[in-house]
Amino acid sequence: MLKTMAMLKEKGVEYADVRINDIVTESISTENMKTQMMYTGRTKGYGIRVFLDGSMGFAASQDFDDMDAIANEALRIAKASKIAQIAPVKLAKKDTVVDNYLTHVEIDPFTVSKKDKLDLLFAAEKAMREAVPELFKTVGNMDFRKEEKWFMDSDGSDIRQVLYESGSGIEAIAVGNGDIQQRTFPNSFRGNFATAGYEFVKNMGLVENAPRVAREAAALISADECPSGFYDLVIDGDQMTLQIHESIGHPIELDRVLGYEAGYAGTSFLNPEMTGFQYGSEHINIVADATVPKGLGTFGYDDEGVKAQRVPIITKGIFQNFISSRDTASILDQASNGTSRADSWGRIPIVRMTNINLLPGTFELDELIAGVEDGLYLSANKSWSIDDKRLNFQFGCEIAYEIKNGKLTGKIYKNPIYSGITPKFWNACDGVASEKYWKMFGTPNCGKGEPGQTAHVGHGSSPSRFRKIKVGVTDVK
Amino acid sequence: MLSKEQIYEIIDCVVSECQPYEAKALVLSNGVGLSRFANSEIHQNVFENKTEIIINILDKNKSIESATTDYSKDGLKQLVAEMKENLIFLPNADEPPPLATGEVEITADSFSDELERLYTVENRCKLIKDCIDTLSDDYMAYGALTYSEEQIAVGNSTGLRRFARYNSVDFSALVSSNSGGTGYAQMLSNTPANMDVPAAFMKAKDKAEMNQNPIDIKPGVYTVILEPMAVGALLSDMAFMGFTGKSVLNQASFLTGKLGEKVFDERITIIDDVTNKNTIPLPFDFEGETRQVVSIIEKGVAKGLVYDGTSAAEAGVKTTGHSVNMPEYGGVPMNMVMGNGEKTLDQIISETESGLLVTKFHYMNGLNPRQAQLTALTRDGLFKIENGKIVAAVNNMRFTESMLNAFNQVVDVSKERQSTGFYFGSCYVPGMKINNFHFTGKTK
Repeated sequence: MLKTMAMLKEKGVEYADVRINDIVTESISTENMKTQMMYTGRTKGYGIRVFLDGSMGFAASQDFDDMDAIANEALRIAKASKIAQIAPVKLAKKDTVVDNYLTHVEIDPFTVSKKDKLDLLFAAEKAMREAVPELFKTVGNMDFRKEEKWFMDSDGSDIRQVLYESGSGIEAIAVGNGDIQQRTFPNSFRGNFATAGYEFVKNMGLVENAPRVAREAAALISADECPSGFYDLVIDGDQMTLQIHESIGHPIELDRVLGYEAGYAGTSFLNPEMTGFQYGSEHINIVADATVPKGLGTFGYDDEGVKAQRVPIITKGIFQNFISSRDTASILDQASNGTSRADSWGRIPIVRMTNINLLPGTFELDELIAGVEDGLYLSANKSWSIDDKRLNFQFGCEIAYEIKNGKLTGKIYKNPIYSGITPKFWNACDGVASEKYWKMFGTPNCGKGEPGQTAHVGHGSSPSRFRKIKVGVTDVK
Repeated sequence: MLSKEQIYEIIDCVVSECQPYEAKALVLSNGVGLSRFANSEIHQNVFENKTEIIINILDKNKSIESATTDYSKDGLKQLVAEMKENLIFLPNADEPPPLATGEVEITADSFSDELERLYTVENRCKLIKDCIDTLSDDYMAYGALTYSEEQIAVGNSTGLRRFARYNSVDFSALVSSNSGGTGYAQMLSNTPANMDVPAAFMKAKDKAEMNQNPIDIKPGVYTVILEPMAVGALLSDMAFMGFTGKSVLNQASFLTGKLGEKVFDERITIIDDVTNKNTIPLPFDFEGETRQVVSIIEKGVAKGLVYDGTSAAEAGVKTTGHSVNMPEYGGVPMNMVMGNGEKTLDQIISETESGLLVTKFHYMNGLNPRQAQLTALTRDGLFKIENGKIVAAVNNMRFTESMLNAFNQVVDVSKERQSTGFYFGSCYVPGMKINNFHFTGKTK
């Protein structure tokens, strides 16, 4: 690495960085009390990014004997970029850093036996089956990841990080009457994830929550379809995660705002002049916090060597800051706020969410519900879609609990869908539950970029109340 | 890139180390060069060279899988030893599907030297520059030009060996006017003669020029003419949702209990056809099984499903050779070809009294799989048709619709077809005219 860096300097690069990633993963799935998947993976390689005469090139390989040749390929690519480039790429200034970072774990998940992990999933599955023997399917999932990163740049930074992730979830699936319904815990799409050790999975309450999950899945089969119309909604933290992710997390990415993703994932309704915009009501306080313990988007340094930060995004409803990388921040004459990450050694770092968190409010959950005359309490995401400017969204949830006259009636609805326009929706929020209800959820499947990258990000929130939101589509004729 | 011989050596090493167990090795080796442009200049230009070995060891009633990018002999030996150790402690589950057998070796090499020569990084950048130079100051260009080399090999302890090599080019372009109107075009092929980057770019530019001063229309029920990219997006989601044996086994498919029944309009025929030259040329699947041609929908009747080994064993049928090494999907159609009609899209438009022309869809997702209910937004060109002519651009709309309804409201299927990419492969599809299509929301 040092030799390659020296060679690049000799060839006149303005800046270069080399990032080595060694990623070990483990995925376990059980289904109907049998092991369905027992998988381990390891990928190790490096990516070299060079800036030559204002142009950027990136090349990556797993062959460590070939590092000079790959560096030369990155130079060749940078020279080629010049052919179709208008202005030189500028990188915002950053500190030169020599440091280490390690995720705090109580139990290294890779030291726990596969048998112990399977036993926990089987115990949760058994509890679901005992509660509702006629369930069509019960499922358990666990995922673990250890990523060792070594970042070095031509300015002298040398940063080594070891990041751990742990996660798990269960799912009950019921069929009948030509229908299929699911309930999950603690969240859909394989569960909840954190930068933590096996203790996160052990303390999750998989077995304790299994009977409720099973009963609700079965009950959804005979539940009524969720009605269409305008309703007051109280949205649970598991669904707030997705709501924040799609309608705040992505629109505030500065590369999207500047058009870098226009050809693929889309742009943003925000533009660089919109600082001060009324994004939401006074109850909406959002931060991008890469430092919060256990957040799935928590780390020491981003993949450009910029230290993890806590950045105000929306304060009392007013938009404050984008999330940025060195190349995007420089266009606004700002410093990067440290959100440039790559999903592996083979991919270039781009602007990614860290932990985009809705800060807790002051309400008790009962108070939020008590303020609803005719509404729904929505939980767990099942479907998501949003336009290319991140304005028009439509999300489906696993379950809707009816609220009448300030109380949950006990009635549930299946297939709830709600939709809205981003700023109008966030301005319709008139209450966020307190810290007592605040919880982080990890999203390990955030897709973006070409070639495609999958980022691991986090969202903390409490249940929140929104007024007069469009529910369902069957009233559109 | 590794040679076929080097890849076979890796497979031999894995199979030998796994003894006395049965084993399978899948090798995925690729080199991808991607030049990405935004605001009418290149902003990301990258190359990745990656080889991954995926090993499955099988015992009587259990199996274990590991993947690694370390294909050194020592690395493979160590990994296999760890896998064997873990396999012993695994509880019994269902019997894994048998290893692929049949013809000992199948090789398929459709690598084009000309494609490699034409799409070097320097040539990609020149092509992009030439496209951008056709634009006036009122327009900006965005998109990507990708050149990929793929090598896929499978081997197992029965002695079976499979090797395929191909290269391809994928070009996507979005042209945007200063006033915000956009147009999009995509072209992908593994045949040099079929790639015309400037022509594809021109199509996006023409669309952007048409997409000016959009009008607002109300959500409601409309006749739509879907261009092939929009049809390809619908088919891609329908494939995952309902065309796989696994989705029917899971009772999650809209074809559950409907095989042999008429489910769509009789003008709809969908075949997964690996022999079609407009799709990915991979004659075997990730288990080494020969990829079968599967008639999924024939004149509107649900005829067949695609399977991998595990889902086929569960269903009590033979695999169709559609494994993508993701048993949770249970095989995926990678070469969907939809039958075409006799009228051109222009003819279909000219015969439409009132309707909407859709260029493509954005961010599609399923809502109710048993009803094949999908939602997405239009993007990069939605136009109003009146009395056979395009009369206005329209602000983007969201549809929420059951494909069981939509594919029974077909008025016409276009003569021209286009290759469109999706998650695991590509499809070759026509445009469609559909009545009573539900738009449930609108945006800008």
